[in-house]
Amino acid sequence: MSEPLKLAVVGHTNVGKTSLLRTLTRDIGFGAISHRPSTTQHVEGARLSVDGEALIELYDTPGFEDAIALYEYIEQSAQSSERLDGPEQVQRFLQSSEARQRFEQEAKVLRQLLQSDAGFYVIDAREPVLAKYRDELAILAMCGKPLLPVLNFVNSAEQREPAWREVLARLGLHAVVRFDTVAPPVDGEQRLYENLSLVLDSQRPRLQRLIEHNQAQVLVRRKAGYRLIAELLIDVSACRRSVHPDHLQDAIQDLHRDVRQREQQCVEALLKLYAFRKDDAQASALPLEEGRWGDDLFNPATMKQLGIKVGGGMAAGAATGAGIDLITGGLSLGMATVLGAAVGGLTQTFRNYGERLKGKFRGERELTVSDNTLRLLAIRQQRLLSALELRGHAAQARIQMETPLEQQWREGELAQPLQTARAYQAWSSLNGQKPQQDSARTQAVEDLLASLNKQHAHPALS
Amino acid sequence: MTDSSSPLQTLWLCEAVRLREEQTGLLEDTEACRKARATPGSLAQRLQVRGLFLAQRDGLVAALQHWLQGAKLAVWLLVISALMAGIILAKTALSGTPQTINIFWALAGLVGLNLLSLLAWLFSLVFAAQASSPLSHLWLWLSNTLARDAKAVQLAPALLVLLQRNNLLRWGLGRLLHGWWLITLSSAFLTLVALLATRRYGFVWESTIVASDSFVMLVNSLGKPAAWLGFALPDNDLIRHSGMQTLDNEHARQVWASWLLGMLLIYGIVPRLVCSLFCEWRWRYGVKRLQLNAADPVWQPLHERVQPSSERLGVIDAAPAALSFSAAGSQRSGENAVLVAIELDDSINWPPVLPAQVLDAGVIDTRKQRHQVLEQLSANPPARLLIVCNAQRSADRGTLHLIAELSRTATQTRVWLLSADSMDDRLNNWQEQLDQLSLAHSRSAPWNWLEHGHE
Repeated sequence: MSEPLKLAVVGHTNVGKTSLLRTLTRDIGFGAISHRPSTTQHVEGARLSVDGEALIELYDTPGFEDAIALYEYIEQSAQSSERLDGPEQVQRFLQSSEARQRFEQEAKVLRQLLQSDAGFYVIDAREPVLAKYRDELAILAMCGKPLLPVLNFVNSAEQREPAWREVLARLGLHAVVRFDTVAPPVDGEQRLYENLSLVLDSQRPRLQRLIEHNQAQVLVRRKAGYRLIAELLIDVSACRRSVHPDHLQDAIQDLHRDVRQREQQCVEALLKLYAFRKDDAQASALPLEEGRWGDDLFNPATMKQLGIKVGGGMAAGAATGAGIDLITGGLSLGMATVLGAAVGGLTQTFRNYGERLKGKFRGERELTVSDNTLRLLAIRQQRLLSALELRGHAAQARIQMETPLEQQWREGELAQPLQTARAYQAWSSLNGQKPQQDSARTQAVEDLLASLNKQHAHPALS
Repeated sequence: MTDSSSPLQTLWLCEAVRLREEQTGLLEDTEACRKARATPGSLAQRLQVRGLFLAQRDGLVAALQHWLQGAKLAVWLLVISALMAGIILAKTALSGTPQTINIFWALAGLVGLNLLSLLAWLFSLVFAAQASSPLSHLWLWLSNTLARDAKAVQLAPALLVLLQRNNLLRWGLGRLLHGWWLITLSSAFLTLVALLATRRYGFVWESTIVASDSFVMLVNSLGKPAAWLGFALPDNDLIRHSGMQTLDNEHARQVWASWLLGMLLIYGIVPRLVCSLFCEWRWRYGVKRLQLNAADPVWQPLHERVQPSSERLGVIDAAPAALSFSAAGSQRSGENAVLVAIELDDSINWPPVLPAQVLDAGVIDTRKQRHQVLEQLSANPPARLLIVCNAQRSADRGTLHLIAELSRTATQTRVWLLSADSMDDRLNNWQEQLDQLSLAHSRSAPWNWLEHGHE
């Protein structure tokens, strides 16, 4: 196992060095970020590992703030003596007393860069190319380490990317990465590491490994997200309550409340999965308010808004979103459901039917969550997942609200696992007991997850 | 399914812990994760270290032992029930008048149910996504009941989920099912031998509509595989005669008895034995290759806990107690009013139309411009110096040093902050920094002050 690659993140104050580190480490609590200059006054490291092997160490440094004076100081002290090359001049400065006084912060940056294999030079592309930045680059170049300029805030209206590129090219820095930390491109990280391997050719395999790891992580995270959604849908779909007609209204209210809670549980799990915090700077990019959906699940208007057709009886007040099986006492499951259930396990199904028949003789009604509510849940959660996945990415505007997948959920048949789940009360956590973790339920969740994931991968095919 | 193979048990415990965490939220796992992180090895190994540690801590390991004992007991109960079932099967097949045992009734009684169940199993093998039978449910229920350990509640589901995920459930339950039938049929075989050895039975066949030739063919073709193994095959005459009357000769009885035993062996015991061995082979093969699949999304929430992809290394170079700071100052006397701008970019029209008597010192950006302006101001100290800054730039130390240095060349200094937006964070920061330098600042140009020295 070789030593990790050390990278210093350097640049002027207030250009987003710590933001870049947070993005690269996916550690939203790393360092401190504010609009003030000199927010970071120390050097702090973070290590990126793949399969337990440390690949890269990133170091956040204080901002460079006094470049013009420092450059002058270094040049003055060099004049008086023999010819020194860049790193030697920097070393000499680091030993001077000014490196502990006026230029203490700059000394920290230079010391760290000298100890690193390369540096990311973060640029606020909204800034004009002032003399102080040129001096800053000149001093950093003296360290003799490869520098990869990273253009931040390139999505801003007042960006001056061409000017910066021209100046960087004049300094021989041709590999430049656009990486807006507010809204990085989806493949931004990959491009960052690819460009880094241009300036650090010997590290190419290591960086490639990191890129592949990150890509694999995206897929695993997405799958885990769909699994949460599949669990939610199975849970809600399998929910079935027997109620005496006299208590119907109360029971419907209870059902609404429980389903809402279950949805919120899923929302929170998804937020956690994507390491999201409510005070996250990118909170506004999500379709949520204060970490929850603003529109009520059982409001017919919410369904209409998402393009789900609301049937005649559906709009009638409190009963919205709850299917009430009045006539057959719960024996009106579709043939597909019964078949699916029969293949799964006969005994269980018949026990189920037995219970229901008893209920029917007692004159009870069966309460389930309607198909439309399931459709709404499915669409909403998938939207949230897409938004979370692209959170903070420049492709935000590209989230298509009218994907064929949604169309399928809106108008097509409910997925087979959900139809099957209708017959298994025991699968639901909403029936006042822990869901029965049998192999059939696991299979149903897996199947639903697979179909959700497949549709995500090939939206054009569905 | 009473293997005590270690990988299976480890994965089983991990799965049980996972199911528990899925239902009740993550357990307190600081120590477990620390141990896992200290383990060199793959993600899967670390997940197992964590799972095992939590299982040990929460008593799941002991519960597993209880459960296994219960399962063993359940298996013994099933074995006993199989033996009993075999005896009953054989006795029922030979019940009735001993002199006129209907040979096909006896045959159907012995292997009919078995063949039906076998067919059902084969059917489920091909068509159903998952395999389960009443027998395997019975065994699981018995094991749970016999374990009598509250902590074992997650164990049976965990085993099912684990085996299902690795496509082993079918073979595990198949082992149980075929094993049960194998014992039942073997016991029936032995009972049959014992009964045939100690009692005298006569065999007949009866039919109203089927011709005797068909019977001859049926008996011959059914009995052929058994005949290869040395079991007797009744010849055509014997079969025809058995259809007409009960033969009371010893040879006929022996041939029919041997044929019946052969049938039970070939259509009862052998298929079950083959299925048992097949399931056993698939099971062992599967268990040997059983591994924790860390890429499965169910483990995703634990990835970062046992193998963080990023770790903080802490502060390498600490922050200073105070940042270097240069104080503003002033000259005792000076003349003129001077306007100087710092780091204005081309988006701002500069200079504006100046009142008379105000001197424009230009814009400072480079080191050379700094020197020029500072030298010029030092030589002719201004009475009033107005420094213009673009508040959209951040107020860095270098610029503040320059402002302070400029202020020390003049009698009075003010700063004019150019900013379009009054709520801008950077503007606020400029204002704070300038307050610290005790320099007066405003967002509009104090021309009156600059010209006349008062507002």
